[in-house]
Amino acid sequence: MTDATRAAAAPLLARIGAWPGRVRPPRWRRHRIGLHAAALALLLAVLFPFGWMVQMALRPPGEVLDGALLFQPTLENFAALWQGHFPKSFLNSVLVSSLSTAASLALGVPAAYVLTRWRFRGRGRVALWILATRMAPPIALTIPFFLAYRWVGLQDSVVGLALIHMTFNISIVVWFMQTFFAAIPRSLEEAAWIDGCGVWQAFRRVTLPLAAPGLAATAVFCFIFSWNDFFFALILTRTSAVTAPVAITNFLQYEGWEWGKIAAAGTLVMLPVLAFTLLVRKYLVRGLTAGGLKD
Amino acid sequence: MASVTIRDLRKSYGSTPVLHGVSIDIADGEFVALVGPSGCGKSTLLRMIAGLEEAGEGEIRIGGRLVNDVPPKDRDIAMVFQNYALYPHMTVARNLGFALTLKGVDRVEIAARVARAAEVLGLSALLDRRPGQLSGGQRQRVAMGRAIVRNPLLFLFDEPLSNLDAKLRVQMRAEIKALHQRLRTSAIYVTHDQIEAMTMADRIVVMRDGRVEQAGAPLDLYDRPANRFVAGFIGSPAMNFLSGRIAVNGGASFHLDGGGPSLPLAAVPPGAHGRPAVLGLRPEHALIDPEAEAALEVTVVEPTGSETQVVGQLAGQPFVGVFRERVAARPGDVLPLRLPPAAAHLFDAGDGQRLV
Ligand SMILES: Nc1ncnc2c1ncn2[C@@H]1O[C@H](COP(=O)(O)OP(=O)(O)OP(=O)(O)O)[C@@H](O)[C@H]1O
Ligand SMILES: [Mg+2]
Repeated sequence: MTDATRAAAAPLLARIGAWPGRVRPPRWRRHRIGLHAAALALLLAVLFPFGWMVQMALRPPGEVLDGALLFQPTLENFAALWQGHFPKSFLNSVLVSSLSTAASLALGVPAAYVLTRWRFRGRGRVALWILATRMAPPIALTIPFFLAYRWVGLQDSVVGLALIHMTFNISIVVWFMQTFFAAIPRSLEEAAWIDGCGVWQAFRRVTLPLAAPGLAATAVFCFIFSWNDFFFALILTRTSAVTAPVAITNFLQYEGWEWGKIAAAGTLVMLPVLAFTLLVRKYLVRGLTAGGLKD
Repeated sequence: MASVTIRDLRKSYGSTPVLHGVSIDIADGEFVALVGPSGCGKSTLLRMIAGLEEAGEGEIRIGGRLVNDVPPKDRDIAMVFQNYALYPHMTVARNLGFALTLKGVDRVEIAARVARAAEVLGLSALLDRRPGQLSGGQRQRVAMGRAIVRNPLLFLFDEPLSNLDAKLRVQMRAEIKALHQRLRTSAIYVTHDQIEAMTMADRIVVMRDGRVEQAGAPLDLYDRPANRFVAGFIGSPAMNFLSGRIAVNGGASFHLDGGGPSLPLAAVPPGAHGRPAVLGLRPEHALIDPEAEAALEVTVVEPTGSETQVVGQLAGQPFVGVFRERVAARPGDVLPLRLPPAAAHLFDAGDGQRLV
């Protein structure tokens, strides 16, 4: 094609959507490049503090606050953590989060199922009150909790803290799972009943497997909420049940702040959250109910 | 196999009554089609028989046993849902065998029965797929298969063929029919396709607004509909209804409201002279006869090859005729029609009940 014919053909080609050479990329494509650049900038801005913390954790303890760009990465800060009480606190955190997650699921999942499937008087109000438990500011609850716990002897215990976390996680479970259960067509359960399932069996063999991705996502949220709790753990634990986030504050001492340990502990506390967030993403995008019904 | 007896069944959703006292008897091994317009309560009735809907008033007996308060799992019935309701997380094989697994049938036996059902329904190659990987017709057959592996007391079908294409529908119709002839399990088949009902059922139950309008053998319903509704519902194209008056002087005849010639009648109820009534005549019973006095003013001619459908006006009232011969008429023409008295039905002008 000569330049002349190319010029002549351009309007036509543009109209039929074919682009002769040397033409600028279509507008949506240019647009996308801009979007990508913006997203990247935003990502860097968000990740910067975390990156900063991780590099601090990897510096030799003496020069944690050094601005030098080049340094010899070392695990000394992590080793120092390992020597102290931090592993115990980390274990406490794992225990509290797992326990409270398991308990909230055990109580919240059946509750959500009943609230979704059974029509009874006051159903909407019950569901709302369950959500309302999550709205109360923690500070309004801590003093009663503290006094009650001192009375029953649950303060500074893993089980006690797990129970508190369960109280605010149950509402999450109930509300998340209601949505997931509602998305499962009732006729699948009815088919199961006719095939010979009781109500419980239909739930276990049909409804629950179909809600599994939602269940996994909910579990991860519960775990993370419990894992991230600082407030209740700070007030309701003293020594034996201290969790990782609270333990970090112990490095902020009167004699000086142990920045290396703080950064290392912060990095460790962040890891499970990161791992679970990636997991939850995978589960949330997966749809399982495709193809069961005619549409 | 079992008989089913339904006595005076009533059901309301809140304050809206849906079934107003339905009574149906289904003999052991009978195939009954339940037909009626959309929203008349067919699915509701079926779901009550299955136990999915709480029984209101009345009785449901399966094989003589009162099942009003028996949960679905203990009724030993199989149901094919209007929307298939296949378990999306199970393979076709597991879908088919689920009921047997629950019953604790041993695995070898389950595999054998699933294989047999799959063979009958042409699903053998698909056993390892999940419902999401099947076409609509294949899903439909899995839904059917899930019912037949079980050997239940009763089959319930809720419009199982409603979203298949015409050809597959005819094919599945024949398959279901053959299946029933082999298994001889009582079945209730909901459909609003009256051809399906006519061709498959031993008996048809016609419902409207939560009531049974008529129950009987397909040809009985066709030949002697109990009222105007059934007459219009069974048969395609639908029966023509011409309003007018009965006259008895010597022989009985029918005077159309729009004037025109009077039509002879075969029989009338006693004392019917002057009584307003509706004359029903099926499109396929009208005959073209140059000697005849009734004149159809043609508006549309629809040849289908095997027959010709002519739509028009008879004494100002809409009328459709279906003829086996090719009709050369064009819109605007006048077609002389003979309406054989023996084929005519007379209905009350008010409540639509059959007069003779
Ligand atoms: N859960 C419900 N709540 C209130 N009304 C209902 C409910 N289910 C059905 N109905 C009403 O009951 C009537 C009968 O419904 P049903 O589903 O039995 O009709 P159908 O004969 O099966 O219709 P179709 O041929 O369209 O499937 C309808 O008027 C419907 O609106
Ligand atoms: Mg229906």
